[in-house]
Amino acid sequence: MRAIALAFTLARRELRGGIKGFRIVLACLALGVAAIAGIGSLSRAIEDGLRRDARKLLGGDLSFNLVHRPAGPAELAWLEKRGDVATVAELRAMAYVQGGAGAPGRDRLLVELKGVDDFYPLYGTIGVDGARPDFKSLTGLLAQHEGHFGALVDPLLLERLGLKSGDRIKIGGLVLAIRGTLDHEPDRATRLFTLGPRVLISSAALRESGLLQPGSLVFYSHRLRLRGGASAAAVMADAKKQFPEAGWRIRGTAEAAPGLDTFLARLTLYLTLVGLTALLVGGLGIASGVKAWLDGRTGTIATLKCLGAPASLIFRVYLIEVLALAAVAILVGLAAGTGLPLLLAGPLETLLPVKLEVSVYPLPLLLAGAFGLLTVLAFSLWALGAAREVPPALLFRNTVAPVEARPRRAYLVATALCAAALAALAVLTAADRWMAGLFVATVVGTFLLFQGGGAAITRTAKFASKRGTRSAVLRFALANLHRPGAPVGRIVLALGLGATVLVTIALLEGNLDRQLREQLPEKAPSFFFIDILPDQVAEFDAAVKSVPGATGLERTPMLRGRIARINAVAVGEAAVAENVRWALDNERGLTFSATPPAGTELAAGKWWPADYRGAPLISFDANLAQGMGLKVGDTLTFNILGREVTATIANLRKIHWRSLGINFTVIFAPGALEGAPHSHIASVHVPAAAETKLFTAVTDKLPNVSAIRVRDALDQAAGVFEQVGFAVRATAMVTLAAGLLVLAGAVAAGHRRRVYDAVVFKVLGATRRRILGAFLIEYGLIGIATAIFAAILGAVLAWAIVTQVMNAPFALLPETAAGTALVAAGIALAFGYFGIWRAMGQKAAPLLRNE
Amino acid sequence: MIRLRGVQLTLDSLAGPVHILRGIDLDVADGETVAIVGPSGSGKSTMMMVIAGLERPSSGRIEVAGADLGMLDEDGLALFRRDRVGIVFQNFHLVPTMTALENVAIPLEFAGRADAFAAAKKGLEAVGLGHRLDHYPAQLSGGEQQRVALARATATGPRLILADEPTGNLDGDTGAQVMELLFSLREKLGTTLVLITHDRALARRCGRVVRLANGHVVGDERHASPAEAAQ
Repeated sequence: MRAIALAFTLARRELRGGIKGFRIVLACLALGVAAIAGIGSLSRAIEDGLRRDARKLLGGDLSFNLVHRPAGPAELAWLEKRGDVATVAELRAMAYVQGGAGAPGRDRLLVELKGVDDFYPLYGTIGVDGARPDFKSLTGLLAQHEGHFGALVDPLLLERLGLKSGDRIKIGGLVLAIRGTLDHEPDRATRLFTLGPRVLISSAALRESGLLQPGSLVFYSHRLRLRGGASAAAVMADAKKQFPEAGWRIRGTAEAAPGLDTFLARLTLYLTLVGLTALLVGGLGIASGVKAWLDGRTGTIATLKCLGAPASLIFRVYLIEVLALAAVAILVGLAAGTGLPLLLAGPLETLLPVKLEVSVYPLPLLLAGAFGLLTVLAFSLWALGAAREVPPALLFRNTVAPVEARPRRAYLVATALCAAALAALAVLTAADRWMAGLFVATVVGTFLLFQGGGAAITRTAKFASKRGTRSAVLRFALANLHRPGAPVGRIVLALGLGATVLVTIALLEGNLDRQLREQLPEKAPSFFFIDILPDQVAEFDAAVKSVPGATGLERTPMLRGRIARINAVAVGEAAVAENVRWALDNERGLTFSATPPAGTELAAGKWWPADYRGAPLISFDANLAQGMGLKVGDTLTFNILGREVTATIANLRKIHWRSLGINFTVIFAPGALEGAPHSHIASVHVPAAAETKLFTAVTDKLPNVSAIRVRDALDQAAGVFEQVGFAVRATAMVTLAAGLLVLAGAVAAGHRRRVYDAVVFKVLGATRRRILGAFLIEYGLIGIATAIFAAILGAVLAWAIVTQVMNAPFALLPETAAGTALVAAGIALAFGYFGIWRAMGQKAAPLLRNE
Repeated sequence: MIRLRGVQLTLDSLAGPVHILRGIDLDVADGETVAIVGPSGSGKSTMMMVIAGLERPSSGRIEVAGADLGMLDEDGLALFRRDRVGIVFQNFHLVPTMTALENVAIPLEFAGRADAFAAAKKGLEAVGLGHRLDHYPAQLSGGEQQRVALARATATGPRLILADEPTGNLDGDTGAQVMELLFSLREKLGTTLVLITHDRALARRCGRVVRLANGHVVGDERHASPAEAAQ
């Protein structure tokens, strides 16, 4: 106890010396902790916002979702017994300007149409702008008035069609009066991706529009507000029991925004890992900073030992100091991290459907603090262990120079344990442990590779030095690279990690961008047309063919159904791989065909004869089959419009989704589905110049058919990626910043020696140009070598992610890789140059007098 | 007090082994004052480090103040120094972040003395620095710093004081004052003193002068009997 108290006393006295030399350590640590704490807090603020608004987002305590058909009378009656029910129908439709001619093709627009009944919304309120004051309620705004139903529209629709409040639009067979714009929808789809602006109308209007044809793609949801404190879970279980074949998907408040939840969890994981990379890069700064700081205390340590301090006391004193300073840095980082949600609340609220719940979240802060603490320990125990080995006999020499001592085994073991704890914490707290484990393995590999890279540079420089060179400048630069204690390894590692992350991200973005902007649009059709009714098929085909240049018309029937059982086992109980679970969560598009679609690649089984008329057979996606453990001959039971259909798998197909053509995971053999209400979906290629012509040709003839312009959808996807990319890039910049801090630390640590070298050179008659030349060669070599390592490693990592995780073809994009890596190298050079410039400015005389 | 037998120290260097001490035999009696002289590189400082338990010899036996240094581990040697040896360096080696008082108190605190600060204050007053207790080393002159170092070296009442050119970094007058203080403290405490110096006059003030050259003891003159020198 006394020993601990003494250690604290000595540490306190020692800290009077200030934190000079420790600033970079503190900055590295604060930066990394801030990144992780900020990402964690932000994610929690969004999650809590989602949870707080869950009822509003879901639209009720429970939501019963169906495709193609609303709930039947028995089902509805059952729901109404349990609470208030609001029914919402959503579909895509074309909106046309009514009266007054717009430019060709500019007078119509694909919209996300939503029909609501009088009970909507059960929770929250609709925000409306520009409504006439005489319409008091939402029901009033949407009701029939002066012969027209009302519509509330997204302001974007007015802008695109050149309309204003009070104008008319035609949707389906119905002319609607625009009675205001939508400012806020409590249950606004938590999708990042929509195909058109929202138009809100009443259920009655929707029924009159003629768009609710059998087979048209309509998504119904019945939202239930429970009465009298009934348990949502119990009602959900009851509903499943009561109506086992309803085919509805029941969502509770926990799944109010399932897509966004998953997206957020993924994004949080990626950003946390990038933040952790920043912390690890900062760890290098911590390691070298703590070492330099302890080196500066060699004299004091030797003195204390001379005066009788046991080595364990020395270790304790400096561990206390390091931890005390680290605690301050961690607190600063946590404070900054806590502030991030506050800072981003404004901008994010325009992007997300939810208001952030800004608060102090202890859990992410605790996690970030733990990451910070373990990083400090993992990266400083070595230096602290070495400090206790400082021989006190040093004091008998004239200059007390730092010693390179190897710490005892216990300290090496402790360092390894801290590193392992850091890795374990990263993996165990990750939403996706497999991904986090992969990250840890990659980091370890990268560390080792760059360490090896640094050693290779040193060895090459040594070898080149031995071979001899006539140029004194080059000789001096090479000597600096391999002299004992040269910081080459540290700089290569720190800068290399930062540059690798940047190269990887740049290549990932480049590849995604290429997919979205170049490759997909080339192969992809120009338009998708949906909701073509079976009796409109001939007219649709004729309309397409009437447009010169329209080619590659593919048209196929479609209806939606859910997979209810796998080999007679209910999907809830079937064991399936996590990566195919999505196929069971929602309705899938189904089609039927006598012949295999063009380009079909069978992985197993045989296609049925064209004239097949027998028990239901299906052709299934080979990938999904693998994830569900299915083979040819197994059965899948589908719930289609409330009826169950069991089909045998006749064959498995390899599907290439990236082609953006029409693809179905499930194709039925003829005979099973023709009788069910369905519509057709079609895709058409057309030159850009003829797009408008095709668009108007089809929609003029068939106003109920919705046209989706693929280019618009891809642009929107690119926009979403851009926003995500921004978040990733911003976090990656933190990694680079940490790398720069490490670099700055290395330059600062070498400053005294540089000054001394520069002065001696000056005394010996070297010109500034010559001195600068030598130093620039040194840093240039480090920078270029690091850039090459980073470009190669970044490319390998990006290749692995693109081909293995995203299952997409990889393009190297050499300019992107080389450019990014060279920027990093340039930064190294700039830093080195700055350090040398400062060293050059020193006057020779005072230094020589001191020496 | 000190008994060295066949002490050899050889260090490995890139150019091959370097023999620093080549078999030193030396006996120093309790209360003796011994000056160690010799040219640079003769092994003076190394011998002092060996006596302080700061360097382990390659071979030979060392007994200091009743302790067989070969039998002590790192921490045992630290405790040995804490309790029995005071060291004064040419470069003072005060801890820059501690005040004069704290610097003197360190060995007492290490020894767990409850009166560490009171004793340290007395020690500083004894070297004439009672008015400089709260000054940091950087705020003191060279002579003052060496006086603090003297107070620190004698704070625990050691049986042996080792001084490595204690005036080497001081001007003549200041050096003389510091030496005056060192000898008077030694006399008061009755401590054994081993002093490395290049200063002949200073060496002559000691009762015995041991001359080292090339790692050997090449001369050993006594100006008076150890008992006389001690008085």
